[in-house]
Amino acid sequence: MHPEASSHVIFGWSAAWVSSVLFCIVYGLIISEKINRAVVGLAGAGLLILCGVLTQEAALRGIDFNTIGLLLGMMLIVGITSKSGIFQYVAIWSAKAVNAAPVGVLIMLSLVTAVLSALLDNVTTVLLIVPVTLAITEELGVKAYPYLINEVLFSNIGGTATLIGDPPNIMIGSAVGLTFMDFVIHAGPAVLLVMVLTILPMYWIWRKDLVATPEAQQRVMCFNEREAIKDSRLLKQALGVLAGVIAGFVVAHHFHIAPATISMFGAAVLLLLDNFGRSADDQSKNVHHAFSEVEWITLMFFVGLFILVHGLEASGVIRALAEQLLAVTGGDQKITALGILWGSALLSGVIDNIPFVATMIPLIKSLAPVFGGEQELMKFWWALSLGACLGGNGTLVGASANLVVAGLAERAGQPIRFWDYTKSCFPLMLLSIAVCHLYLQLRYL
Amino acid sequence: MTIQEVMKASPATVAPDETFGHAFALMMEQKLTHLPVVGSEGVYLGMFDLRDIWQVLLPKAALLAMDSLSDLAFFYESKKQLIDKLRHAANRRVEEFLKEEDAPLEVYPDMPVIEAVLLLHRHDGVLPVVDRKSRRLVGMVGAWDILERLR
Repeated sequence: MHPEASSHVIFGWSAAWVSSVLFCIVYGLIISEKINRAVVGLAGAGLLILCGVLTQEAALRGIDFNTIGLLLGMMLIVGITSKSGIFQYVAIWSAKAVNAAPVGVLIMLSLVTAVLSALLDNVTTVLLIVPVTLAITEELGVKAYPYLINEVLFSNIGGTATLIGDPPNIMIGSAVGLTFMDFVIHAGPAVLLVMVLTILPMYWIWRKDLVATPEAQQRVMCFNEREAIKDSRLLKQALGVLAGVIAGFVVAHHFHIAPATISMFGAAVLLLLDNFGRSADDQSKNVHHAFSEVEWITLMFFVGLFILVHGLEASGVIRALAEQLLAVTGGDQKITALGILWGSALLSGVIDNIPFVATMIPLIKSLAPVFGGEQELMKFWWALSLGACLGGNGTLVGASANLVVAGLAERAGQPIRFWDYTKSCFPLMLLSIAVCHLYLQLRYL
Repeated sequence: MTIQEVMKASPATVAPDETFGHAFALMMEQKLTHLPVVGSEGVYLGMFDLRDIWQVLLPKAALLAMDSLSDLAFFYESKKQLIDKLRHAANRRVEEFLKEEDAPLEVYPDMPVIEAVLLLHRHDGVLPVVDRKSRRLVGMVGAWDILERLR
């Protein structure tokens, strides 16, 4: 029995059953979207402790504060940086760099989305890029649809390439101690291949719609990207801090500094710079606003989920699941790794990848003795990361960025329908996973 | 003082199946900022106002109700394009512009004028005066209707 498992479960029930049933109910409620996911996660975690499966101390030990801190710090930094208007500037600049030719704009905005979402969270990236995209496509007189779809796909693809790009990577990186460069080196090449193999079919499908008159292109060329910059002092500070934080992630490993320390310290420095010389009253307003931009729903969801998964771990459910997985794959490394890749891609296409990855992490960790130590697990981590992040592209509900874009598109009168999206993007997702399959096989198996 | 005493009775109105172009012309002609939309038997349905005209002129991206496109200082729009936008909208029906509002902005004839003052302080504009029972439009009350009485 796990040292943290409590022997005082309510009514003498089995800890494994209580934690499994609670976990399944929470999962079901998250999928049904009837109740906010943060509320469901926290209520489930609370019940788990009240039922006596975990003590409060054990539950707190289950929370990965490195993941929470990393996310919180980055949300603060990005929230402040986005006020400067830099992201709109980059989007307009990139469209003008290709003479506002529709195909060029499609490629540039996809690349900008990929790069930004590799460094920022995906939802923030699309929230900043989509309005500019709508403005540009309206002026060009072209359908916004292919542009928006590409931005969905590339926000998820770009996020796969770095430690901080997507929540699954943050969780995996934090649990396993992977560095920023580990992700760039191991996930990066696969991401580049997937990008090329996504843009080509998208261009092929939409090429007939990607035509604009010279006058329309000229109108976009008249956009003045400099006017998009709202606050150049803030811009310099924010870009400085962002660059410092990313450099910090790259070198942190050598100094034994955890990523959460870097992102939280970066956020503190940026808040300090942004508030320097302001009156006390102005400071409270400004800091209050910065904190209110944080996505507390996501963070609280993580807290609840970590506790619930820790309950499964402590009561031996994860170990039992791992044994099941090994029984299915016969303990074969190749089958296990590719099974994780395809399984996580297909599941992430329909359910939230955050709870899935949170469950898979302890499961994969428990496989270490079978496969000969932690080092042998690396291929499984890359399979999980690539599958869970890219799988989100499969359907409109596969990732939160997808839903955000769909919401914006709907309001702009260019709705993205669930089945239309699935028809063109599910095959593209399968293609990207097939690419990763080959990549994993050639490099690690 | 009640609203009935200050309101402007029988104001210009527009029917929901009339066109944007008609409403726009009426507003330009009489220099109106607000044009109440009334259905059969004079029942008040909502307000067609300047915001509907601004909405036609603006790029859709600016209407997402998010602060992600906080301004349009970078944008470029020619006079011809703006005129074209108004022309394109000319055949749309007024009812397309009726907004679903959580708390419709309206007052009743027997309300004290100070209620209208409060609403105008909060929202600016012109308020429709509606009969409580029949929901028929009986008048409009705006800044000048009230302030003229206070001189």
